[in-house]
Amino acid sequence: MIKLSNIEKTYEGASGPVHAIKGIDLHVKRGEIYGVIGLSGAGKSTLIRCINMLESPTKGTVVVDGQDLTAMNATELRAARKNIGMIFQHFNLLSSATVYDNIAFPLNLIGTSKANIEKTVAPLLELVGLTDKRDQYPAQLSGGQKQRVGIARALASNPKVLLCDEATSALDPQTTKSILALIRDINQKLQLTVVLITHEMQVIKEICDKVAVIEKGVIAEEGTVLEVFTKPKATITKEFISVIINHDIPEAFKDAEISSTPIPDSSLLVRLSFIGSSADEPVISGLIRRFNVDANIIYGNVDHIKATPYGTLVLEITGEDTDIENSLKYLQERNLGIEVIGYVARHDHVAR
Amino acid sequence: MSQDMIMLLVKALGETTYMVFISSLISALAGIPLGVILVTTDKGHILENITVNRVLGAVANAARSTPFIILMVAIIPITRVIVGTSIGTNAAIVPLTLAAIPFVGRLVETSLKEVEYGVIEAAKAMGATPMQIICRVLIPEAMPSLIAGLTITVISLIGYSAMAGAIGGGGLGDLAIRYGYQRFRGDVMLATVVILIVQVQLVQSIGDYVASKLNKR
Repeated sequence: MIKLSNIEKTYEGASGPVHAIKGIDLHVKRGEIYGVIGLSGAGKSTLIRCINMLESPTKGTVVVDGQDLTAMNATELRAARKNIGMIFQHFNLLSSATVYDNIAFPLNLIGTSKANIEKTVAPLLELVGLTDKRDQYPAQLSGGQKQRVGIARALASNPKVLLCDEATSALDPQTTKSILALIRDINQKLQLTVVLITHEMQVIKEICDKVAVIEKGVIAEEGTVLEVFTKPKATITKEFISVIINHDIPEAFKDAEISSTPIPDSSLLVRLSFIGSSADEPVISGLIRRFNVDANIIYGNVDHIKATPYGTLVLEITGEDTDIENSLKYLQERNLGIEVIGYVARHDHVAR
Repeated sequence: MSQDMIMLLVKALGETTYMVFISSLISALAGIPLGVILVTTDKGHILENITVNRVLGAVANAARSTPFIILMVAIIPITRVIVGTSIGTNAAIVPLTLAAIPFVGRLVETSLKEVEYGVIEAAKAMGATPMQIICRVLIPEAMPSLIAGLTITVISLIGYSAMAGAIGGGGLGDLAIRYGYQRFRGDVMLATVVILIVQVQLVQSIGDYVASKLNKR
Protein backbone atom coordinates (compact mmCIF):
# COMPACT_ATOMS: atom_id res chain seq x y z
CA MET A 1 0.00 0.00 0.00
CA ILE A 2 2.81 2.35 0.95
CA LYS A 3 6.30 1.89 -0.33
CA LEU A 4 9.07 4.29 0.55
CA SER A 5 12.32 3.61 -1.23
CA ASN A 6 15.63 5.07 -0.20
CA ILE A 7 14.14 8.28 1.20
CA GLU A 8 16.56 11.03 2.03
CA LYS A 9 15.70 14.48 3.29
CA THR A 10 18.16 17.30 3.78
CA TYR A 11 17.27 20.74 5.10
CA GLU A 12 19.28 23.89 4.78
CA GLY A 13 19.79 24.67 8.43
CA ALA A 14 21.35 27.78 9.93
CA SER A 15 24.64 25.94 10.43
CA GLY A 16 24.85 23.99 7.18
CA PRO A 17 22.69 21.19 5.80
CA VAL A 18 20.79 18.95 8.22
CA HIS A 19 20.28 15.33 7.20
CA ALA A 20 16.91 14.57 8.76
CA ILE A 21 16.48 11.25 6.96
CA LYS A 22 19.37 9.26 5.57
CA GLY A 23 18.02 6.54 3.34
CA ILE A 24 14.90 4.87 4.68
CA ASP A 25 13.00 2.02 3.07
CA LEU A 26 9.57 1.28 4.42
CA HIS A 27 6.89 -1.07 3.21
CA VAL A 28 3.41 -0.97 4.68
CA LYS A 29 0.89 -3.58 3.62
CA ARG A 30 -2.80 -2.91 3.07
CA GLY A 31 -4.82 -2.94 6.27
CA GLU A 32 -1.76 -2.89 8.49
CA ILE A 33 -1.18 -0.56 11.44
CA TYR A 34 2.43 0.41 11.16
CA GLY A 35 4.14 2.29 13.97
CA VAL A 36 7.26 4.38 13.72
CA ILE A 37 8.87 5.17 17.03
CA GLY A 38 11.79 7.44 17.73
CA LEU A 39 12.99 10.18 20.00
CA SER A 40 12.31 13.77 19.03
CA GLY A 41 14.68 14.78 16.28
CA ALA A 42 15.05 11.22 15.04
CA GLY A 43 13.33 12.16 11.78
CA LYS A 44 10.02 10.39 12.32
CA SER A 45 7.93 13.50 11.80
CA THR A 46 9.74 14.29 8.56
CA LEU A 47 9.27 10.69 7.48
CA ILE A 48 5.48 10.66 7.92
CA ARG A 49 5.26 14.03 6.13
CA CYS A 50 7.07 12.49 3.19
CA ILE A 51 4.27 9.94 2.79
CA ASN A 52 1.80 12.66 1.73
CA MET A 53 4.52 14.94 0.41
CA LEU A 54 3.98 17.74 2.91
CA GLU A 55 7.74 17.42 2.84
CA SER A 56 9.17 16.44 -0.49
CA PRO A 57 12.08 14.07 -0.03
CA THR A 58 15.45 15.16 -1.37
CA LYS A 59 15.96 11.66 -2.79
CA GLY A 60 13.95 8.49 -3.15
CA THR A 61 10.42 7.58 -4.18
CA VAL A 62 7.10 7.50 -2.36
CA VAL A 63 4.53 5.13 -3.78
CA VAL A 64 1.07 5.07 -2.21
CA ASP A 65 -1.60 2.74 -3.61
CA GLY A 66 0.47 2.19 -6.73
CA GLN A 67 0.92 5.88 -7.47
CA ASP A 68 4.36 7.46 -7.40
CA LEU A 69 3.77 10.73 -5.52
CA THR A 70 7.31 11.93 -6.09
CA ALA A 71 6.71 12.03 -9.85
CA MET A 72 3.51 14.07 -9.69
CA ASN A 73 2.83 17.70 -10.45
CA ALA A 74 0.97 19.92 -7.99
CA THR A 75 -2.52 19.16 -9.35
CA GLU A 76 -2.03 15.39 -9.44
CA LEU A 77 -0.56 15.50 -5.97
CA ARG A 78 -3.60 17.34 -4.58
CA ALA A 79 -5.85 14.66 -6.06
CA ALA A 80 -3.68 11.90 -4.61
CA ARG A 81 -3.73 13.48 -1.16
CA LYS A 82 -7.47 12.96 -0.98
CA ASN A 83 -6.65 9.27 -0.61
CA ILE A 84 -4.46 9.95 2.39
CA GLY A 85 -6.07 11.21 5.58
CA MET A 86 -3.95 12.74 8.28
CA ILE A 87 -4.38 13.58 11.94
CA PHE A 88 -2.08 15.75 14.00
CA GLN A 89 -0.73 16.14 17.51
CA HIS A 90 -2.36 19.54 17.89
CA PHE A 91 -5.50 18.54 15.97
CA ASN A 92 -5.25 21.54 13.58
CA LEU A 93 -8.97 22.14 13.39
CA LEU A 94 -10.53 25.31 12.04
CA SER A 95 -11.37 27.31 15.14
CA SER A 96 -13.89 29.37 13.19
CA ALA A 97 -15.90 26.38 12.02
CA THR A 98 -18.25 24.05 13.89
CA VAL A 99 -17.54 20.38 14.41
CA TYR A 100 -19.82 19.62 11.47
CA ASP A 101 -18.13 22.13 9.18
CA ASN A 102 -14.70 20.91 10.18
CA ILE A 103 -15.57 17.38 9.19
CA ALA A 104 -17.24 18.65 6.01
CA PHE A 105 -14.16 20.68 5.09
CA PRO A 106 -12.45 18.17 2.77
CA LEU A 107 -15.79 17.60 1.03
CA ASN A 108 -16.36 21.32 0.61
CA LEU A 109 -12.96 21.55 -1.05
CA ILE A 110 -14.10 19.27 -3.85
CA GLY A 111 -17.50 20.92 -4.15
CA THR A 112 -19.62 18.08 -2.81
CA SER A 113 -23.33 18.94 -2.66
CA LYS A 114 -24.88 19.83 0.69
CA ALA A 115 -27.06 16.73 0.71
CA ASN A 116 -24.11 14.44 0.03
CA ILE A 117 -22.04 16.16 2.69
CA GLU A 118 -24.79 15.51 5.22
CA LYS A 119 -24.90 11.87 4.12
CA THR A 120 -21.18 11.48 4.75
CA VAL A 121 -20.74 13.63 7.85
CA ALA A 122 -23.66 12.33 9.91
CA PRO A 123 -22.38 8.71 10.04
CA LEU A 124 -18.87 9.97 10.75
CA LEU A 125 -20.16 11.97 13.72
CA GLU A 126 -21.83 8.79 14.86
CA LEU A 127 -18.64 6.77 14.38
CA VAL A 128 -16.54 9.09 16.52
CA GLY A 129 -19.34 9.59 19.04
CA LEU A 130 -19.82 13.32 18.62
CA THR A 131 -23.32 13.54 17.18
CA ASP A 132 -24.43 15.79 20.03
CA LYS A 133 -21.51 18.16 19.45
CA ARG A 134 -22.13 18.83 15.77
CA ASP A 135 -22.82 22.55 16.13
CA GLN A 136 -20.18 23.32 18.73
CA TYR A 137 -16.87 24.99 18.04
CA PRO A 138 -13.52 23.29 18.69
CA ALA A 139 -12.79 25.64 21.61
CA GLN A 140 -15.71 24.08 23.45
CA LEU A 141 -14.32 20.54 23.14
CA SER A 142 -11.82 18.56 25.18
CA GLY A 143 -8.56 17.35 23.64
CA GLY A 144 -9.90 13.88 23.04
CA GLN A 145 -13.03 15.22 21.38
CA LYS A 146 -10.94 17.49 19.17
CA GLN A 147 -8.89 14.52 18.03
CA ARG A 148 -12.11 12.65 17.28
CA VAL A 149 -13.14 15.53 15.05
CA GLY A 150 -9.69 15.33 13.46
CA ILE A 151 -10.20 11.63 12.79
CA ALA A 152 -13.68 12.15 11.34
CA ARG A 153 -12.33 14.92 9.12
CA ALA A 154 -9.50 12.70 7.93
CA LEU A 155 -12.01 9.99 7.05
CA ALA A 156 -14.46 12.28 5.24
CA SER A 157 -12.81 11.95 1.87
CA ASN A 158 -12.89 8.17 2.25
CA PRO A 159 -9.12 7.68 2.21
CA LYS A 160 -7.22 4.41 1.93
CA VAL A 161 -4.45 5.50 4.24
CA LEU A 162 -4.51 7.29 7.58
CA LEU A 163 -1.38 9.04 8.80
CA CYS A 164 -1.20 9.79 12.51
CA ASP A 165 1.40 12.34 13.45
CA GLU A 166 1.87 12.01 17.23
CA ALA A 167 -1.91 11.89 17.36
CA THR A 168 -2.09 11.02 21.06
CA SER A 169 0.95 12.87 22.39
CA ALA A 170 -1.08 15.83 23.61
CA LEU A 171 -3.65 13.64 25.36
CA ASP A 172 -3.83 12.09 28.81
CA PRO A 173 -3.34 8.30 29.12
CA GLN A 174 -7.03 7.49 29.37
CA THR A 175 -8.00 9.61 26.37
CA THR A 176 -5.03 8.15 24.50
CA LYS A 177 -6.49 4.68 25.06
CA SER A 178 -9.90 5.64 23.72
CA ILE A 179 -8.42 7.36 20.66
CA LEU A 180 -6.23 4.33 19.95
CA ALA A 181 -9.25 2.07 20.32
CA LEU A 182 -11.07 4.24 17.81
CA ILE A 183 -8.17 4.07 15.36
CA ARG A 184 -8.04 0.30 15.70
CA ASP A 185 -11.79 0.14 15.25
CA ILE A 186 -11.76 2.10 11.99
CA ASN A 187 -8.71 0.18 10.82
CA GLN A 188 -10.76 -2.99 11.06
CA LYS A 189 -14.11 -1.61 9.92
CA LEU A 190 -12.82 0.30 6.92
CA GLN A 191 -9.77 -1.84 6.11
CA LEU A 192 -7.75 1.33 6.43
CA THR A 193 -3.97 1.25 6.31
CA VAL A 194 -2.58 3.25 9.23
CA VAL A 195 0.88 4.71 9.71
CA LEU A 196 1.49 6.32 13.05
CA ILE A 197 4.49 7.94 14.58
CA THR A 198 4.99 8.30 18.29
CA HIS A 199 7.60 8.49 20.99
CA GLU A 200 5.54 6.33 23.33
CA MET A 201 6.09 2.58 23.30
CA GLN A 202 2.69 2.21 24.95
CA VAL A 203 1.02 3.38 21.73
CA ILE A 204 2.94 0.88 19.63
CA LYS A 205 2.15 -1.92 22.05
CA GLU A 206 -1.50 -1.01 22.12
CA ILE A 207 -2.40 -1.12 18.43
CA CYS A 208 0.46 -1.66 16.00
CA ASP A 209 1.06 -4.76 13.93
CA LYS A 210 4.52 -3.73 12.88
CA VAL A 211 7.02 -1.28 14.21
CA ALA A 212 10.09 0.50 12.95
CA VAL A 213 12.42 2.07 15.45
CA ILE A 214 14.14 5.06 13.97
CA GLU A 215 17.21 6.79 15.25
CA LYS A 216 19.24 9.60 13.69
CA GLY A 217 17.44 9.39 10.37
CA VAL A 218 17.79 5.63 9.79
CA ILE A 219 15.75 2.59 10.77
CA ALA A 220 17.52 0.94 13.68
CA GLU A 221 15.18 -2.01 13.92
CA GLU A 222 12.03 -3.24 12.26
CA GLY A 223 9.63 -6.16 12.59
CA THR A 224 6.37 -7.31 14.08
CA VAL A 225 5.65 -5.72 17.42
CA LEU A 226 5.92 -9.06 19.21
CA GLU A 227 9.33 -9.80 17.70
CA VAL A 228 10.70 -6.39 18.50
CA PHE A 229 9.31 -6.44 22.02
CA THR A 230 10.47 -9.86 22.98
CA LYS A 231 13.80 -9.89 21.18
CA PRO A 232 14.97 -6.29 20.90
CA LYS A 233 18.34 -5.96 19.22
CA ALA A 234 19.21 -2.28 18.98
CA THR A 235 20.10 -0.36 22.13
CA ILE A 236 17.54 2.31 21.36
CA THR A 237 14.80 -0.33 21.10
CA LYS A 238 15.77 -1.75 24.48
CA GLU A 239 15.52 1.71 25.97
CA PHE A 240 12.05 2.22 24.57
CA ILE A 241 10.90 -1.18 25.76
CA SER A 242 12.34 -0.75 29.25
CA VAL A 243 9.61 1.82 29.85
CA ILE A 244 7.06 -0.93 29.54
CA ILE A 245 8.88 -4.13 30.33
CA ASN A 246 11.19 -4.10 33.30
CA HIS A 247 14.60 -5.47 32.35
CA ASP A 248 16.35 -4.12 35.41
CA ILE A 249 17.55 -6.14 38.34
CA PRO A 250 14.92 -6.06 41.08
CA GLU A 251 15.35 -3.34 43.67
CA ALA A 252 16.06 -5.75 46.54
CA PHE A 253 19.12 -7.11 44.73
CA LYS A 254 20.50 -3.80 43.49
CA ASP A 255 23.22 -3.74 46.11
CA ALA A 256 23.79 -7.47 46.46
CA GLU A 257 26.85 -9.06 44.94
CA ILE A 258 25.80 -11.11 41.96
CA SER A 259 28.06 -13.84 40.73
CA SER A 260 27.71 -15.33 37.29
CA THR A 261 28.91 -18.77 38.46
CA PRO A 262 27.41 -20.87 41.24
CA ILE A 263 28.80 -20.12 44.66
CA PRO A 264 28.17 -22.30 47.69
CA ASP A 265 25.05 -21.61 49.70
CA SER A 266 23.54 -19.28 47.15
CA SER A 267 20.25 -18.84 45.40
CA LEU A 268 19.70 -18.44 41.70
CA LEU A 269 18.06 -15.42 40.10
CA VAL A 270 16.41 -16.02 36.74
CA ARG A 271 14.22 -13.91 34.55
CA LEU A 272 11.59 -15.82 32.62
CA SER A 273 9.65 -14.34 29.75
CA PHE A 274 6.47 -15.86 28.44
CA ILE A 275 4.97 -15.22 25.06
CA GLY A 276 1.63 -16.35 23.76
CA SER A 277 0.59 -19.86 24.78
CA SER A 278 3.67 -20.43 26.94
CA ALA A 279 2.21 -17.84 29.29
CA ASP A 280 -0.48 -20.39 30.10
CA GLU A 281 1.91 -23.15 31.13
CA PRO A 282 2.12 -23.69 34.92
CA VAL A 283 5.91 -23.50 35.02
CA ILE A 284 6.43 -22.64 38.66
CA SER A 285 4.23 -25.32 40.15
CA GLY A 286 5.92 -27.80 37.81
CA LEU A 287 9.25 -26.63 39.11
CA ILE A 288 8.59 -26.98 42.80
CA ARG A 289 6.78 -30.28 42.37
CA ARG A 290 9.72 -31.86 40.59
CA PHE A 291 12.61 -30.50 42.60
CA ASN A 292 13.27 -29.80 46.20
CA VAL A 293 13.51 -26.09 45.77
CA ASP A 294 11.66 -22.97 46.79
CA ALA A 295 10.71 -20.45 44.18
CA ASN A 296 10.20 -16.92 45.31
CA ILE A 297 8.70 -14.44 42.90
CA ILE A 298 10.71 -11.24 43.09
CA TYR A 299 9.06 -9.42 40.22
CA GLY A 300 6.22 -10.24 37.94
CA ASN A 301 4.36 -8.62 35.10
CA VAL A 302 1.86 -9.97 32.63
CA ASP A 303 0.69 -7.80 29.78
CA HIS A 304 -0.73 -7.98 26.31
CA ILE A 305 0.91 -6.93 23.09
CA LYS A 306 -2.18 -6.47 20.98
CA ALA A 307 -3.98 -9.77 21.72
CA THR A 308 -0.92 -11.82 22.67
CA PRO A 309 -0.18 -12.26 26.37
CA TYR A 310 3.37 -11.47 27.30
CA GLY A 311 4.90 -11.68 30.76
CA THR A 312 8.08 -11.43 32.73
CA LEU A 313 8.88 -13.10 36.04
CA VAL A 314 12.00 -12.83 38.13
CA LEU A 315 12.44 -15.85 40.36
CA GLU A 316 14.75 -16.50 43.23
CA ILE A 317 15.31 -20.25 43.43
CA THR A 318 16.72 -21.62 46.66
CA GLY A 319 17.68 -25.18 47.56
CA GLU A 320 20.56 -27.60 47.32
CA ASP A 321 23.03 -26.75 44.59
CA THR A 322 22.19 -29.85 42.55
CA ASP A 323 18.48 -29.13 42.79
CA ILE A 324 19.09 -25.60 41.55
CA GLU A 325 21.08 -26.94 38.60
CA ASN A 326 18.32 -29.37 37.70
CA SER A 327 15.67 -26.67 38.03
CA LEU A 328 17.60 -24.47 35.65
CA LYS A 329 17.84 -27.32 33.14
CA TYR A 330 14.12 -27.92 33.50
CA LEU A 331 13.33 -24.29 32.86
CA GLN A 332 15.64 -24.14 29.87
CA GLU A 333 13.80 -27.05 28.29
CA ARG A 334 10.46 -25.25 28.49
CA ASN A 335 9.18 -23.10 25.68
CA LEU A 336 9.99 -19.77 27.20
CA GLY A 337 12.63 -17.09 27.36
CA ILE A 338 15.07 -17.52 30.20
CA GLU A 339 17.90 -15.35 31.32
CA VAL A 340 20.15 -16.18 34.23
CA ILE A 341 20.75 -13.01 36.21
CA GLY A 342 23.23 -14.70 38.55
CA TYR A 343 23.78 -16.26 41.94
CA VAL A 344 23.49 -14.35 45.16
CA ALA A 345 24.58 -15.39 48.59
CA ARG A 346 21.46 -16.59 50.33
CA HIS A 347 19.65 -13.83 52.18
CA ASP A 348 22.45 -11.47 51.45
CA HIS A 349 19.86 -8.92 50.39
CA VAL A 350 17.68 -9.48 53.41
CA ALA A 351 20.47 -9.37 55.94
CA ARG A 352 21.07 -5.69 55.35
CA MET B 1 -25.20 78.17 17.37
CA SER B 2 -27.03 79.41 14.29
CA GLN B 3 -29.11 77.32 11.94
CA ASP B 4 -26.51 77.92 9.21
CA MET B 5 -23.70 76.68 11.43
CA ILE B 6 -25.60 73.50 12.18
CA MET B 7 -26.21 72.98 8.46
CA LEU B 8 -22.48 73.41 7.87
CA LEU B 9 -21.68 70.85 10.58
CA VAL B 10 -24.11 68.34 9.12
CA LYS B 11 -22.66 68.83 5.65
CA ALA B 12 -19.11 68.47 7.00
CA LEU B 13 -20.07 65.31 8.86
CA GLY B 14 -21.52 63.92 5.65
CA GLU B 15 -18.31 64.73 3.77
CA THR B 16 -16.08 63.16 6.40
CA THR B 17 -18.22 60.04 6.50
CA TYR B 18 -18.16 59.82 2.71
CA MET B 19 -14.38 60.27 2.50
CA VAL B 20 -13.72 57.74 5.24
CA PHE B 21 -16.21 55.23 3.87
CA ILE B 22 -14.91 55.28 0.29
CA SER B 23 -11.24 55.30 1.27
CA SER B 24 -11.79 52.51 3.84
CA LEU B 25 -13.61 50.43 1.26
CA ILE B 26 -10.98 50.82 -1.46
CA SER B 27 -8.05 50.40 0.92
CA ALA B 28 -9.60 47.21 2.31
CA LEU B 29 -10.21 45.88 -1.20
CA ALA B 30 -6.59 46.53 -2.13
CA GLY B 31 -4.98 46.07 1.29
CA ILE B 32 -6.39 42.61 2.05
CA PRO B 33 -4.92 41.07 -1.12
CA LEU B 34 -1.67 42.92 -0.38
CA GLY B 35 -1.58 41.42 3.11
CA VAL B 36 -2.42 37.97 1.76
CA ILE B 37 0.41 38.21 -0.77
CA LEU B 38 2.83 39.46 1.89
CA VAL B 39 2.05 36.41 4.04
CA THR B 40 1.75 33.67 1.46
CA THR B 41 4.89 34.62 -0.49
CA ASP B 42 6.99 34.59 2.67
CA LYS B 43 9.60 31.90 3.19
CA GLY B 44 8.14 28.45 3.71
CA HIS B 45 4.57 29.55 3.03
CA ILE B 46 2.13 28.24 0.46
CA LEU B 47 3.18 30.55 -2.40
CA GLU B 48 6.77 31.20 -1.39
CA ASN B 49 8.29 33.87 -3.62
CA ILE B 50 10.99 35.81 -1.85
CA THR B 51 11.45 38.40 -4.62
CA VAL B 52 7.79 39.40 -4.72
CA ASN B 53 7.70 39.42 -0.93
CA ARG B 54 10.73 41.70 -0.59
CA VAL B 55 9.64 44.14 -3.31
CA LEU B 56 6.09 44.49 -1.98
CA GLY B 57 7.35 44.78 1.57
CA ALA B 58 9.73 47.57 0.58
CA VAL B 59 7.01 49.47 -1.31
CA ALA B 60 4.63 49.15 1.63
CA ASN B 61 7.28 50.40 4.03
CA ALA B 62 8.16 53.35 1.82
CA ALA B 63 4.53 54.40 1.58
CA ARG B 64 4.06 54.02 5.31
CA SER B 65 7.13 56.03 6.25
CA THR B 66 5.99 59.08 4.28
CA PRO B 67 4.08 61.45 6.61
CA PHE B 68 0.50 61.77 5.43
CA ILE B 69 0.57 65.55 5.03
CA ILE B 70 3.59 65.23 2.72
CA LEU B 71 2.14 62.28 0.81
CA MET B 72 -1.01 64.27 0.24
CA VAL B 73 0.83 67.16 -1.37
CA ALA B 74 3.38 65.02 -3.15
CA ILE B 75 0.80 63.01 -5.08
CA ILE B 76 -1.29 65.97 -6.22
CA PRO B 77 -0.37 65.26 -9.87
CA ILE B 78 -1.65 61.70 -9.52
CA THR B 79 -4.80 62.94 -7.81
CA ARG B 80 -5.40 65.31 -10.74
CA VAL B 81 -5.08 62.46 -13.21
CA ILE B 82 -7.50 60.24 -11.29
CA VAL B 83 -10.15 62.72 -10.10
CA GLY B 84 -9.53 65.66 -12.39
CA THR B 85 -8.96 68.11 -9.54
CA SER B 86 -6.81 68.41 -6.44
CA ILE B 87 -9.44 70.16 -4.33
CA GLY B 88 -12.53 68.73 -2.63
CA THR B 89 -13.72 65.56 -1.01
CA ASN B 90 -13.15 63.29 -4.00
CA ALA B 91 -9.60 64.59 -4.36
CA ALA B 92 -8.93 63.86 -0.69
CA ILE B 93 -9.98 60.24 -1.14
CA VAL B 94 -6.96 59.52 -3.37
CA PRO B 95 -4.20 60.25 -0.82
CA LEU B 96 -6.30 58.80 2.00
CA THR B 97 -6.66 55.54 0.13
CA LEU B 98 -3.04 55.43 -0.98
CA ALA B 99 -1.87 55.96 2.58
CA ALA B 100 -4.26 53.36 3.97
CA ILE B 101 -3.51 50.51 1.54
CA PRO B 102 -0.05 49.65 2.90
CA PHE B 103 -1.36 50.23 6.41
CA VAL B 104 -4.15 47.71 5.87
CA GLY B 105 -1.69 45.41 4.12
CA ARG B 106 0.58 45.25 7.15
CA LEU B 107 -2.32 44.83 9.57
CA VAL B 108 -3.75 42.01 7.46
CA GLU B 109 -0.30 40.44 7.28
CA THR B 110 -0.04 40.47 11.08
CA SER B 111 -3.53 38.98 11.45
CA LEU B 112 -2.93 36.19 8.96
CA LYS B 113 0.41 35.31 10.53
CA GLU B 114 -1.44 34.54 13.74
CA VAL B 115 -3.19 31.63 12.02
CA GLU B 116 -1.40 28.48 13.12
CA TYR B 117 0.59 26.94 10.32
CA GLY B 118 -0.66 23.52 11.41
CA VAL B 119 -4.16 24.35 10.20
CA ILE B 120 -2.78 25.36 6.81
CA GLU B 121 -0.76 22.15 6.72
CA ALA B 122 -3.90 20.16 7.50
CA ALA B 123 -5.71 21.82 4.58
CA LYS B 124 -2.72 21.08 2.35
CA ALA B 125 -2.82 17.45 3.42
CA MET B 126 -6.49 17.36 2.40
CA GLY B 127 -5.57 18.51 -1.10
CA ALA B 128 -6.60 22.17 -0.83
CA THR B 129 -5.33 24.54 -3.53
CA PRO B 130 -3.48 27.70 -2.42
CA MET B 131 -6.57 29.74 -3.29
CA GLN B 132 -8.78 27.47 -1.16
CA ILE B 133 -6.32 27.76 1.70
CA ILE B 134 -6.46 31.56 1.48
CA CYS B 135 -10.24 31.85 1.19
CA ARG B 136 -11.34 28.97 3.41
CA VAL B 137 -8.62 28.77 6.01
CA LEU B 138 -6.48 31.90 6.33
CA ILE B 139 -9.16 34.58 6.03
CA PRO B 140 -11.96 32.90 8.03
CA GLU B 141 -9.54 31.89 10.79
CA ALA B 142 -8.14 35.42 11.02
CA MET B 143 -11.53 37.13 10.70
CA PRO B 144 -11.85 38.54 14.25
CA SER B 145 -8.34 39.90 14.06
CA LEU B 146 -8.97 41.27 10.54
CA ILE B 147 -12.07 43.10 11.76
CA ALA B 148 -10.05 44.60 14.61
CA GLY B 149 -7.43 45.72 12.08
CA LEU B 150 -10.04 47.26 9.80
CA THR B 151 -11.52 49.11 12.78
CA ILE B 152 -8.14 50.65 13.48
CA THR B 153 -7.88 51.58 9.81
CA VAL B 154 -11.25 53.35 9.77
CA ILE B 155 -10.34 55.28 12.92
CA SER B 156 -6.98 56.30 11.49
CA LEU B 157 -8.75 57.41 8.32
CA ILE B 158 -11.11 59.60 10.35
CA GLY B 159 -8.03 61.30 11.78
CA TYR B 160 -6.30 61.59 8.40
CA SER B 161 -9.46 62.89 6.78
CA ALA B 162 -9.36 65.84 9.19
CA MET B 163 -5.84 66.53 7.96
CA ALA B 164 -7.01 66.35 4.38
CA GLY B 165 -9.45 69.10 5.29
CA ALA B 166 -6.50 71.41 5.89
CA ILE B 167 -5.63 71.47 2.20
CA GLY B 168 -9.16 71.89 0.94
CA GLY B 169 -10.57 68.41 1.26
CA GLY B 170 -13.74 69.42 3.02
CA GLY B 171 -15.22 67.60 5.97
CA LEU B 172 -15.06 68.21 9.71
CA GLY B 173 -11.33 69.00 9.75
CA ASP B 174 -11.82 71.69 7.15
CA LEU B 175 -14.69 73.20 9.16
CA ALA B 176 -12.72 73.15 12.40
CA ILE B 177 -9.77 74.94 10.81
CA ARG B 178 -11.69 77.56 8.83
CA TYR B 179 -14.34 78.43 11.41
CA GLY B 180 -13.07 77.14 14.73
CA TYR B 181 -9.45 78.22 14.34
CA GLN B 182 -9.26 81.01 11.79
CA ARG B 183 -12.50 82.74 12.85
CA PHE B 184 -12.12 82.07 16.56
CA ARG B 185 -15.39 80.18 16.79
CA GLY B 186 -14.80 78.09 19.90
CA ASP B 187 -18.26 76.58 19.74
CA VAL B 188 -17.64 75.21 16.22
CA MET B 189 -14.27 73.82 17.28
CA LEU B 190 -15.86 72.11 20.26
CA ALA B 191 -18.73 70.74 18.18
CA THR B 192 -16.41 69.19 15.55
CA VAL B 193 -14.22 67.65 18.24
CA VAL B 194 -17.25 66.16 19.97
CA ILE B 195 -18.61 64.78 16.69
CA LEU B 196 -15.23 63.24 15.86
CA ILE B 197 -14.98 61.63 19.29
CA VAL B 198 -18.48 60.18 19.00
CA GLN B 199 -17.70 58.92 15.50
CA VAL B 200 -14.52 57.18 16.63
CA GLN B 201 -16.25 55.67 19.65
CA LEU B 202 -19.04 54.39 17.47
CA VAL B 203 -16.66 52.76 14.97
CA GLN B 204 -14.61 51.19 17.75
CA SER B 205 -17.69 49.78 19.49
CA ILE B 206 -19.12 48.31 16.31
CA GLY B 207 -15.71 46.85 15.42
CA ASP B 208 -15.30 45.29 18.87
CA TYR B 209 -18.79 43.88 18.78
CA VAL B 210 -18.39 42.26 15.36
CA ALA B 211 -14.93 40.91 16.20
CA SER B 212 -16.12 39.31 19.42
CA LYS B 213 -19.19 37.85 17.67
CA LEU B 214 -16.93 36.20 15.12
CA ASN B 215 -14.40 34.96 17.63
CA LYS B 216 -15.00 31.27 18.32
CA ARG B 217 -11.75 30.57 20.10
